[in-house]
Amino acid sequence: MKRPSRLDAPLVTLLLLSLYLLTSVALAETVFVQSKTAKLRSGKTSLDSVVADLKFGESLEVLGKEGNWLEVQTTRGAKGWIFAGKTTPTKPTVGEDDVLAKLGKSFRRTEAGDVTASAGARGLDKVSEGYANRVGITQQHRDAIDRMAAYRISDQEVEDFLKQGRLGEYAQ
Amino acid sequence: MRSKAWHLIRLLLVPTIIGLWSGCAEVQQIAEEQARRSGDERLAKIIHGSGTLVSGLLPISYEEEQTIGAAIALQVVARYGGVYDQPELTRYLNLVGRAVALTCDRPDIPYHFTVLNSDSINAFAAPAGYVFVTRGLLKQIRNEAELAAVLGHEIAHVSQKHILEVIQRSKSLAGVSEAGLAYAHQNPDVFKNLIDAAAKKLLDEGLDQDKELEGDSLGEVFAARVGYDPTAYVTLLTRLRTLKGDDRAFFKTHPNFSTRIHAVQQVIQTQGWKPTGVLLENRFARVRGKI
Repeated sequence: MKRPSRLDAPLVTLLLLSLYLLTSVALAETVFVQSKTAKLRSGKTSLDSVVADLKFGESLEVLGKEGNWLEVQTTRGAKGWIFAGKTTPTKPTVGEDDVLAKLGKSFRRTEAGDVTASAGARGLDKVSEGYANRVGITQQHRDAIDRMAAYRISDQEVEDFLKQGRLGEYAQ
Repeated sequence: MRSKAWHLIRLLLVPTIIGLWSGCAEVQQIAEEQARRSGDERLAKIIHGSGTLVSGLLPISYEEEQTIGAAIALQVVARYGGVYDQPELTRYLNLVGRAVALTCDRPDIPYHFTVLNSDSINAFAAPAGYVFVTRGLLKQIRNEAELAAVLGHEIAHVSQKHILEVIQRSKSLAGVSEAGLAYAHQNPDVFKNLIDAAAKKLLDEGLDQDKELEGDSLGEVFAARVGYDPTAYVTLLTRLRTLKGDDRAFFKTHPNFSTRIHAVQQVIQTQGWKPTGVLLENRFARVRGKI
């Protein structure tokens, strides 16, 4: 019977190590931030200090779970707690489609220049204003859409509103 | 012989390369100019056509969506009695809506919420985040959790780009190869026809049943993520199911309530959610008098 060569031992070690690493990776639970505003806290209540502000879609390794809170570690190594309602087990897909959309716009721009430059600040731009003229929309309704688009509420105001209603991570 | 084969290769390769290099629309422009300068008008046309083909296949950008959304929003406001301007109510609606939108699948765009001065029971969403709720529907709502679910449903239509799909489909039916604003800018009739068709679908016929049910399921998920009682939406849909008379006009633009209730109950069951009891009846009651 042929004896195993000297090379086989390191090879087997390497294979076992790879298997161990792969298994570890597969077993580690990962969740993703599913909220535009999410905070990593030092403890599992909204009264605990903020360790870091997390980004939408950011991946987090789950270290533990208690009630509605998850103990997690970010890819940058920060550890803390996040309200479970602000996470999802599947990676949010937002963004991929938008890259294609921007691309489509860049192609269409080459056809007749940028006609959307005025969009953003107001609700109506040249094209939608032109549409309003063609179908006879009153000035009152046009102003209503402009006001609607200009209406601003900050993320902080929303956060205070959630806190006041004891919603999500502010629940007691 | 070589020249003919080479020409054939160019015919096949140029659109492919342009498609692959589609990250740079400028590449298309430069190639088109080069072909024109070298006197190959046919090649220039092929390159131009490739760009058009690529642009027609690509989704609508956010800036373009804003223009489309504003045009559809104008139709909604004009058809539903205009905006009901009550500052306290508008602020409350925007706070609840924004809280729900933070947890949706597309939280990076601004969402705008307003009340329509109409007694009919309905809610609508136009692309780019325009969300409308009628006074009639608000009068049927009993607490903030129910309102959050209604707004979640409309937010889902925006985040999943349901109305834009209608536009893309009408564009194909109309044989229009370009959806872009540039094309619409040059052809206001085409833009008008696309918006009119989308508004008709939204306001008169209703979106496809699967889109409405997706709106219900996702809206339920978004509201529950915020922390609202997941069973509130079932309670509201059950209450609406019992309505009679003119209020039933709302029913023709949505699937029947039993189907919707069943779909929402399935989401609750799949997620393993329990009633949390967070309804916020008192906070809603404070603005109820303003409706």
